Amino acid sequence: MPLRFHSLDSDRVVVSNLVGEHLVLARAEFDEVVSAGTPSPETLSTMRARHMIRLPDETLPVELLAMKLRTQKRRLADMTSLHMFVVTLRCEHTCRYCQVSRQGTERGEYDMSQDTAEAALRHVFASPSPQLKIEFQGGESLLNFELIRWIVERAEEINELERRDLAFVIATNLALIDDEMLDFCEAHRIVLSTSLDGPEDLHDHNRRRPGQDSWQRAVDGIERVRDRLGTDYVSALMTTTEESLERPEAIIDSYVDLGLTGIFLRPISPYGFALRLRGGGQYDAKRWLEFYKRGLAHIIELNRAGTPITEIYAAIIAKKMFSNNDPAYVDLTSPAGIGIGGIVYNYDGSIYASDEGRMLAESDDQTFKLGTVDDSWTDIMSSNRLLSPLWESYTLSSPGCDQCAFEPWCGSDPTFHHATMGDFAGHKTFSAFCTRNMGIFTHLVELADSDPYARDLLWTWGQR
Amino acid sequence: MIPLRGRSTTTGWTQPRTDIWQIARPDDPRVSERALLLDDDGRTRDGAGLYISKDQFLSGPGPTVHVPDELGHLAPGDVVVVSDDGTRVNVAWKATATHNSILLTERCDHYCLMCSQPPKDGDDSYLYGRAKRIISALPFAAKAVSLTGGEPTIDPHAFLDLLEHIAATRPNLSTHILSNGRRFSDKAFTTEYASVAIEDMMVGIPLYAADPSLHDYIVQSEDAFNTSVKGILNLVAAGAGVEIRVVIQKANVAQLSELARYITRNLPFVNQVVLMGLEMTGLARPNTDLVWVDPHDYRRELREAYHLLSSAGIYTRIYNHQLCVVDRELWPAAVQSISDWKNDYPDLCQPCSVKDQCSGVFSTSGSRLSPNLRPIVDVEMSS
Repeated sequence: MPLRFHSLDSDRVVVSNLVGEHLVLARAEFDEVVSAGTPSPETLSTMRARHMIRLPDETLPVELLAMKLRTQKRRLADMTSLHMFVVTLRCEHTCRYCQVSRQGTERGEYDMSQDTAEAALRHVFASPSPQLKIEFQGGESLLNFELIRWIVERAEEINELERRDLAFVIATNLALIDDEMLDFCEAHRIVLSTSLDGPEDLHDHNRRRPGQDSWQRAVDGIERVRDRLGTDYVSALMTTTEESLERPEAIIDSYVDLGLTGIFLRPISPYGFALRLRGGGQYDAKRWLEFYKRGLAHIIELNRAGTPITEIYAAIIAKKMFSNNDPAYVDLTSPAGIGIGGIVYNYDGSIYASDEGRMLAESDDQTFKLGTVDDSWTDIMSSNRLLSPLWESYTLSSPGCDQCAFEPWCGSDPTFHHATMGDFAGHKTFSAFCTRNMGIFTHLVELADSDPYARDLLWTWGQR
Repeated sequence: MIPLRGRSTTTGWTQPRTDIWQIARPDDPRVSERALLLDDDGRTRDGAGLYISKDQFLSGPGPTVHVPDELGHLAPGDVVVVSDDGTRVNVAWKATATHNSILLTERCDHYCLMCSQPPKDGDDSYLYGRAKRIISALPFAAKAVSLTGGEPTIDPHAFLDLLEHIAATRPNLSTHILSNGRRFSDKAFTTEYASVAIEDMMVGIPLYAADPSLHDYIVQSEDAFNTSVKGILNLVAAGAGVEIRVVIQKANVAQLSELARYITRNLPFVNQVVLMGLEMTGLARPNTDLVWVDPHDYRRELREAYHLLSSAGIYTRIYNHQLCVVDRELWPAAVQSISDWKNDYPDLCQPCSVKDQCSGVFSTSGSRLSPNLRPIVDVEMSS
């Protein structure tokens, strides 16, 4: 059956099948397999169980493999489930790595209007997806809370007939949250997603605002949301800057101290301001990987000692390693999640295939602008502006991806590769996306192969 | 342990109208179709189809079967099978038992190394008909039945006919079928099976390894794994309930976690998985060297398989394991699974503080038990 492989080191090879079931073999043993020699009965037994080989007349393994692949890809037919509304570009923060916010501007110029929102909602419900998540972004989204309130109520009104599984998320720095907003979030079961870069000094260095109190306001906000709405209604995201690289443990501990049970160790986006000298993004994939591995090791030790905390990126990959469930993470999927997984409605009514595509537009690259809310859903979805990056970056037909052992766990990121290489597929040898992900995949495989505790932990993360 | 058969004698014997008798209470309005027990003084009422006496010298006002002392447990609600000449009595149903099973055939297309009920080849097709009569004779209070073999689907028409009979007469009777699953690889058969209107029906299908060759070796039949898994897929596709049964033994213990992974990845939609200990009777006895493994020695493998399955959201139970040879964290999943008629607690268990929650041992296993059984005296387990 189709199998691919990758050398972990001179002695070990990881073999994977079409759907990402995998096995680590000694190189000599692997050579026996691929040269039609005499591998051990144990190897043959495991490879049959994991649908890497079959007897010539067996049909069941093919049927099961097809079933698993169908399961993994079944959400594709649902189309877009994540709908991001940029309700304003205004923000009271001046974060070093930000590329989109506008400070000190008057209400109006950079806010989304009700008419635009109404038109965008028509797109949301034109998507056939049974699950719809509306995520409010900025700028600082709470600066246009009036519009958020209007969109939530209007969407719920439309949904009385549509009957979709409708959910709302507000991405916010939480600095401006007040009781009235909390009341509204509670009444409409809105999840709040905030930014927290780690300890106070690091966070405030990255995320600047008048009064230099961003961290304190975020922390207070997290606690207020948790008290009012419950633990499941608030989560935090961190962005790794140059200054973070030496402090993974402190960053993670700051999450644990706040009682957060998940942390997403994220690299900085390679767009706009972030790549400028003062943006904090002047590190390469190799240094980021060192940071990631140190962080993950610390997280595993915390769990081992009884403090449950999940590294969310590893959990997304573990789900692909150990189950057929689609983690529904639009940045690591193939075909890419742009447009067909998540879509962005900008404040001015333009539609972008991804949030990163919107950021590129801020530096005058309109490649990922699919149209405006006045276009029809069908025109947006069938335009070559969307279809070209999708098929050109599809991993099963991309050079460097189609033969990669980790293809079933990976995804394509046409926005990243366009931004960094001017090509939707990109040259994977020089791709930081590829280096980062390959580094994480091999690291997780080695962890699972060498540390039974880490293997069980990854398995558990993967089954959630 | 409850004896289920005995030699009997008769008085006033005339050929009774049936071989299957529900023991009724004296006030049963259909007493002419029922059997009545004589009380200790030999009292009963007129009009019963059959009388059952636990005393050799007391007879009823009609054909009477005198049962031996070991069948002294017979009580209203039980169903007995009486041979034509009245010299043998088998208990087909114990009203007080949690598990009641009906044997549909002794024929089987598998020949499992550890089979506790070795298949026989003769024509036993009368058993399907007898099963229908037992169903007809069940007391109203009967809740659940297990249909066993041999392979219950060996005669597909007789099997479906029996299920239709249950659906027509006792649609609320929860019906569990122990099958090797191969018949269900036939889609037409499975469709017909799934259309039977029994409210709660489940097939328990054995899967012993994720490697087809190892499974086929354990069941001593070619292409068994592929056919059984196709059967499971067809059943699930038809909306029918499926349980996977894994008997842990010497040949598969090292690959138990691989099987658990296989199930989570390929068959995550089954209703439950049961990890089972050996019953050392039937073929398991002559094959002791091939099958026996002490549960004490596979605690780690059992724990790992259980965690792999249950963390993937698959409801997993542990059958036939004594608590003293299972990790404590698995105790809540360890069910008292051994039918009371063949269930025992060795003498050494008497001081054990969790005996009431423990499955005990198979009396049928004789002395072939884990040498590591020991009473647990340091905990109180709340139920």
